[in-house]
Amino acid sequence: MQNPFEVIPAEIYDVKQESPLIRTLSLKPEKPIEFQTGQFMELTIPGVGEAPFTPSTSHFVKDKMDITIMKTGFMTEYVHQAKVGDKVGLRGPFGTNYPLDKFEGKDLLILGGGCGLAPLRSLFLTLLDEVDRYRSITFLAGSKSPKDCIYKDAAAGWKKHPTVKFHRAVDVVPEGEKWDEDVGVVTVLLKKSEIDPANNPAVVCGPPVMMKFGTMDLLKMGYKEENIYLSMEKKMYCGHGQCRHCVMGEYYACKHGPVFPYAQIKDEEAIWE
Amino acid sequence: MIKIEKSNFGTFIQNLSADYSLFAPVGEGQQSAFREVKNAEQINTHIQITQNSPKTVFLPQTEVLFEFSGDDIQSEEKPAKPMFFWGVRSCDAKSLNLLDKVMGQSKQRPDDPAFQDPYWKARFDDAIILTLACNEPASTCFCNWTGGSPFSKDAGDLWAVETETAYLVEPLSEKGEAFVKGLSGYDTASEKDKQSIAKLKKQAESYLQPAVDAETLKEKLPQTWEDPLWDEVSAKCVNCSACAFICPTCYCFDIQDEGKKDKGKRIRTWDCCMFPIFTKEASGHNPRSLARERVRQRVMHKFRYFWEIYGESLCTGCGRCVRVCPVNLDIREVAKQLLEADSAA
Repeated sequence: MQNPFEVIPAEIYDVKQESPLIRTLSLKPEKPIEFQTGQFMELTIPGVGEAPFTPSTSHFVKDKMDITIMKTGFMTEYVHQAKVGDKVGLRGPFGTNYPLDKFEGKDLLILGGGCGLAPLRSLFLTLLDEVDRYRSITFLAGSKSPKDCIYKDAAAGWKKHPTVKFHRAVDVVPEGEKWDEDVGVVTVLLKKSEIDPANNPAVVCGPPVMMKFGTMDLLKMGYKEENIYLSMEKKMYCGHGQCRHCVMGEYYACKHGPVFPYAQIKDEEAIWE
Repeated sequence: MIKIEKSNFGTFIQNLSADYSLFAPVGEGQQSAFREVKNAEQINTHIQITQNSPKTVFLPQTEVLFEFSGDDIQSEEKPAKPMFFWGVRSCDAKSLNLLDKVMGQSKQRPDDPAFQDPYWKARFDDAIILTLACNEPASTCFCNWTGGSPFSKDAGDLWAVETETAYLVEPLSEKGEAFVKGLSGYDTASEKDKQSIAKLKKQAESYLQPAVDAETLKEKLPQTWEDPLWDEVSAKCVNCSACAFICPTCYCFDIQDEGKKDKGKRIRTWDCCMFPIFTKEASGHNPRSLARERVRQRVMHKFRYFWEIYGESLCTGCGRCVRVCPVNLDIREVAKQLLEADSAA
């Protein structure tokens, strides 16, 4: 029997500082990893432990994987000390993915904030790899302040893409920082959307409070419950629907999620907590 | 049904321990647990229910998933001999079957990808469980609430009753049949023996309090979500998690690394949904930061969520949590209060 706790060794071949607290590790696993965008991996730092992260590269890239990580706890402290050439481990992929065939021929809206932009970058890059399948892609990204914006280099290219509308907002612009795009929580960008809400899908990923208000706003605009896809990231540990850290009522975020249609979980208690 | 005279018990156990890793109740009171034994003298044949359930053998408090040194990863070996469990109470035997649904099959929904835990399966699949009927249920016992009974034959590979002079044993599963076939030199139980079983059964059942219907409770629970009763109930809970560690069906676990970068172990340890950090995310966000939310989660998992997935409750009424709770939080009282609560839907 294949041991489901076994990790695939991987080497860090690049490290990129995205913002003061966020960096992207570029990994080369010993064997290619097949994942579907939206699924997550367990990243091992040997001797430190394991934690769940979602790849931020296209799922068409199988021999390499980027993972964008914010320095925020015990494990990520070590992630931020990691150097090129260090060995780490990967286990997965786990969970559900974004349903790309439901996005086919549609005007897709992607709403994301903060660290939620990491999995959305994977989705976005996967979409761009087959961009002809989709009518249009609107990507609305929120960050705390200009210096917290991630994927700065790529953003310029995204803005020019003919099929893409890419807008950014920051919550605040501290004195001395430059910003010529929108200011406010990410949902202020929704007014820029020209999409017909009744017949098109939307994806939301970000901190719990943003997910909640983002979803409420989309519903108000006329989006259908079954067309809103939420990335309900929790504290996923085992990835097999066993250890119970990520449960939401009768669902495991690691197994039945993390990508849920809002219609599926709307009646569960305390989903935004 | 075969009859093992108590005068032959020593030989029976001796023979058993040659072919199996034999586990049986050992020790008294708070020190009692299922441990490996070599002879009958080591077994506590009088104990009503052990402090620790057989879960501690199948899903140990800590276990090494693998060791790593450099690029080399090594998994633990399978036990050499299959295990035989003597003297498991019906509540605990049922608990193992419930745990097997999660660890051995883990298919919460028909369209779920199947998952099998190799560590659990290596121990459980070959193990033979002998369920020993409960002649004298304790005051904390409530197996009758969740479909059990002291003389239940619903779980285990073999079923046995202790009479004054003998153990009467019959098979419950294919594994049990094969085991009984392999025994020789034992008498078959007489009609008189069978009559004594009926008498013991009736007496045992008389010790239990009237049952609360677990299915009614399951139906009621969703309505109690916002009930202030959860504040009341959780106010005295100190989040010590003794209830979960002692519980034969609690299976929450954590995965941790021990060691250094180039050499160490990845271990699985018990965890508990009563701990505030159980759900706390790295960002500081915590879906269940309040005791009320955690106590509610535990009760809901036992009596509602598990039922919604597997069609039965995740409590077998062993009563261990009632015994060990340092603040006398009695799950039976909580259940009764919830059923009586005037919660709006």
